[in-house]
Amino acid sequence: MATTIEAPARPTRPARRRRSRRVWRNTAVGWSFLLPNFIGFAVLTLAPVLVLFYLAFTDWNVFGVARWTGMANFRRLIHDQSFWTALENTLYYTALHIPLTLGAALGLALLLNRRLRGVAFFRTVAFFPYITSIVAAAQVWNMLFSPQYGPIDAVLRPLGIAHPPGWTVSTTWSMPAVILVGTWREMGYYMLIFLAGLQTIPAQLYEAARVDGANAWQRFRAVTVPSLRPTTFFVTVMLTIGSFKVFDLILLLTNGGPGQSTLVLSQYIYQTGFQENHFGYASAISVVLFVLCFVATIVQFHVNKRRSV
Amino acid sequence: MKRLVSAALGLTAAASLLVAGCSSGSPAASASAGVPSGPTTLTLAGWTLSTTPEFKALADGFHAAHPNVTVQLKEYDATNYDTQMIADLAAHSAPDIYVLKNLKNFYTYQSGGQLVDVSDVAKSLGSGVGGLSDYQVGGKAYAIPYRQDSWVLFYNKALFDKAGIAYPDGSWTWDKYVSISEQLTAALKDRGSKAVGDYQHIWQSTVQGFALAQTPGAKLTSGDFSYLKPYYDRALALQNAGAQPTFGTVSTNKLTYQAQFGKQQAAMMLMGTWYIATLLKQQRTGDADTFQWGMAPAPQFDASTTGTSATPVTFGDPTGLGINPAISSDKVSAAKAFLEYAAGVQGAKSLAAIGITPADTAAVASDFFSLKGMPSDSLSKFAFSTHDTKPENPVSKYTTGLQDLLNDLHTAVMSGGKGIDGAISDAQSRAKSQVLNQ
Amino acid sequence: MDTMLKPAPTDALPAPVPRRRNGKRASPAVRVLIYVLLVAAAAGVLLPFYWMVVSSLKTDNDVVTVPVKWLPHSVVWHNYLDIWRKSQMTTWLENTLILSFAVTALQLFTGSFAAYGFAKVRFPGRDLLFIVYVGTIAVPWQSYMIPQFILMSHLRLSNTLWSIIALQAFGALGVFLMKQYYESIPEELSEAARIDGMSEYGIYRRIMLPLSAPALASLALLTFVNTWNDYLGPLIYLRSPNLRTIQLGLSTFISQYNTEYALIMTGSVLSVLPIAVIFLLGQRYFVEGIATTGLKG
Repeated sequence: MATTIEAPARPTRPARRRRSRRVWRNTAVGWSFLLPNFIGFAVLTLAPVLVLFYLAFTDWNVFGVARWTGMANFRRLIHDQSFWTALENTLYYTALHIPLTLGAALGLALLLNRRLRGVAFFRTVAFFPYITSIVAAAQVWNMLFSPQYGPIDAVLRPLGIAHPPGWTVSTTWSMPAVILVGTWREMGYYMLIFLAGLQTIPAQLYEAARVDGANAWQRFRAVTVPSLRPTTFFVTVMLTIGSFKVFDLILLLTNGGPGQSTLVLSQYIYQTGFQENHFGYASAISVVLFVLCFVATIVQFHVNKRRSV
Repeated sequence: MKRLVSAALGLTAAASLLVAGCSSGSPAASASAGVPSGPTTLTLAGWTLSTTPEFKALADGFHAAHPNVTVQLKEYDATNYDTQMIADLAAHSAPDIYVLKNLKNFYTYQSGGQLVDVSDVAKSLGSGVGGLSDYQVGGKAYAIPYRQDSWVLFYNKALFDKAGIAYPDGSWTWDKYVSISEQLTAALKDRGSKAVGDYQHIWQSTVQGFALAQTPGAKLTSGDFSYLKPYYDRALALQNAGAQPTFGTVSTNKLTYQAQFGKQQAAMMLMGTWYIATLLKQQRTGDADTFQWGMAPAPQFDASTTGTSATPVTFGDPTGLGINPAISSDKVSAAKAFLEYAAGVQGAKSLAAIGITPADTAAVASDFFSLKGMPSDSLSKFAFSTHDTKPENPVSKYTTGLQDLLNDLHTAVMSGGKGIDGAISDAQSRAKSQVLNQ
Repeated sequence: MDTMLKPAPTDALPAPVPRRRNGKRASPAVRVLIYVLLVAAAAGVLLPFYWMVVSSLKTDNDVVTVPVKWLPHSVVWHNYLDIWRKSQMTTWLENTLILSFAVTALQLFTGSFAAYGFAKVRFPGRDLLFIVYVGTIAVPWQSYMIPQFILMSHLRLSNTLWSIIALQAFGALGVFLMKQYYESIPEELSEAARIDGMSEYGIYRRIMLPLSAPALASLALLTFVNTWNDYLGPLIYLRSPNLRTIQLGLSTFISQYNTEYALIMTGSVLSVLPIAVIFLLGQRYFVEGIATTGLKG
């Protein structure tokens, strides 16, 4: 045994040492690149996040020592009506906000991906909501939505709608209103990413399709959609995480109301933590939210992989 | 290298959070109130200092009485005061003395060990200080009230005159209030005024505060909220009759009660006595119109507490001062002296001078009504100084959770999204399954 | 993520206007239709902003009326003078500018540096570490901000502008964005440089940085906008009035002058203007930058 190994081992040993030296060197070089960012990231983000995962299994009121309670917080979640309402609302928001934003962003991108005078202006306009401060935007939208004095309903009334919706002060319409504002705000951002994706599609593909006699719709289905898949995937992933975590928009627009009609998970976390002072429980809800985002991303990843095969 | 050191420090800090927790003992809890002779600096929390003069008034007044003690103010955000304060206390960076805006969060701070026992200060203060007992837990006092606002009815005499309707006389029940408000609205409209009968702000307390305080047998922690029904029926009736701006208009346009009453958009408004200072100031600066106004007791549940020979029932949370247990032990006695000063007659007088309702209302009534712009009728004086003020947030472990779900009830009912009966039964089942079983 | 990585376009700076892919231009009718659609969409998108500007030129009592007044009765300019007098707008702008520039510079440097390590240097544990980076994006900030605040206070950073810099400068998003971009740059470029004896730092500095200028520009603008518009961060970390940022200042201002609509709208317009100017100046780069990073998926 020993001799058989000895023979081939001799020449490779320096090679292996060389390889291990290279691995060591690469590791050092790699870390030297990461370090300036990693130190800040590890201390300021990663450490608190790890603490949060620990706190999810404790009873903590911010001031005292966190008391380990095992799965108690998660058991409590199962019977918490508000949690389920918040989860339901979050899914409602996500389910509508993603396709709407995706559609609006893609539509705008297709419209603006051509040679037109003033195209830069329109692109800037589309991006404007994203740079407008959210505090100011919420203030303005609330006034626009005002059921008695707001311009939106003032426009709807002459159009024959006798009882226009109460928007942010209606339990039925508050969520659509929030989704509308969310889409308004984010479509320009994703439009730019789509625009970039469109610009990378080789023109030859369109030419080939045209030669085959495909009309505009067929070209869109056969060339644009598949070529855009990587971009679409990225946009959906970012949109999903963003939608699950939606917070300040709702806080400023409706504060979760009226009733619990726009209460979402992020806000419920804030409420249980800061208003009711159950930080351990709030951490447990955060972990659920994190898992949701994670699972959604993994699912999308697999769907995307299967489609692109 | 510096980064490494700070990283190590940070990780240690994170670890200490998990293992050691924070000490929450009360240093020198039994120290008798007395000011040390050496120079001392105390820090005090306040909010929006440029438009809220009370903190400076107390700090300056105390410094004048004890020249060796300086009180420094630390400014907080008015709307997010508690969020910022919780963060500061958790990180041990809060000031020596901090304000308890209302009773709702008192439990959080007290049960979290963030308040020094100040029973000795409470004992030394006279019985004239209102709201003292609200801050007692297990026979010990953990904060001292320096303000005790109560809800009264503000009314615009000019608009009443214009409508040709007699001023409130202290005999009103709620039904009377509703009918007067509707009469006012109609009469004012006839005479070409855009003003309405009354204004009700979007807060849940405008309805629930009175319902809880006045209804016999009503108890927040009982989990039985049926006492709210008649109060909501009346509020909705007023809204539907156009006698007050709707909830939707108020919340989407972010209407402010200061403008609604101050700019004569409404003839009556139920509000806490803190509004007196604002109204006086705004009338002086021109932010509010100049008109004659008065105060009357809030409308009552039934006739048994109406009239100036009875004591009207209303509500209001005291505003208290508490001492941060992280204060260095040599400052505790000075801090206690500050609390005693703020709640005592001297502090009350300096607060009254800027139009603020101190905890000791009887001691300052005459000073108060000598302020320029104050009404001088006897009913206003009666309303200001005579009332049985029940706490809006009776202190308990469940108060915050219950008030949060009752706020959901409030917005759902006032916006017309839910009927009051359904909303009450929803709230009761949520209270049972989410709050009272914790 | 790897499925998203398509080969990079050979020109690192694609033309801002898309290549003509149709042999002929669209017919005039179609073009008119497109313009009508675009103008309608632009009007809809800008409506809230228009309302803001118009309201800032009205008197307080004219802002909320029935029916809605789309044009000011008579243009009132003094709101813009009043707000300067009544608020500490200059301090807010100054703080926000300091923060936005500092955060952007740090984010650009540390983000692109770390991204190079993730994209181009192979070492054990690299991919796991990257998943950890991206994973933190999915954790809601408000749930770990208290532990973070305690930590920052121990580092004596809270209630200083440093806290906001520390909070924003090391975010995972910049690393993610830049990494995706670097991975789309052909490996042959760096291999050739390595054979020439260039060190990894040299490759980063002499090849990657110049090539990624548009991506850096887009990251810079994104970071700048996010820092400019951050509200919760400053709310939790800053106490002193002289440290207030524009968003924090504006919200205090609203709670203080909540009766004065016109003034509030003036403040809102002023908070948007500087960032709008910066975007307009940078939008050329930005669109290009996104265009080349876009395929990162």
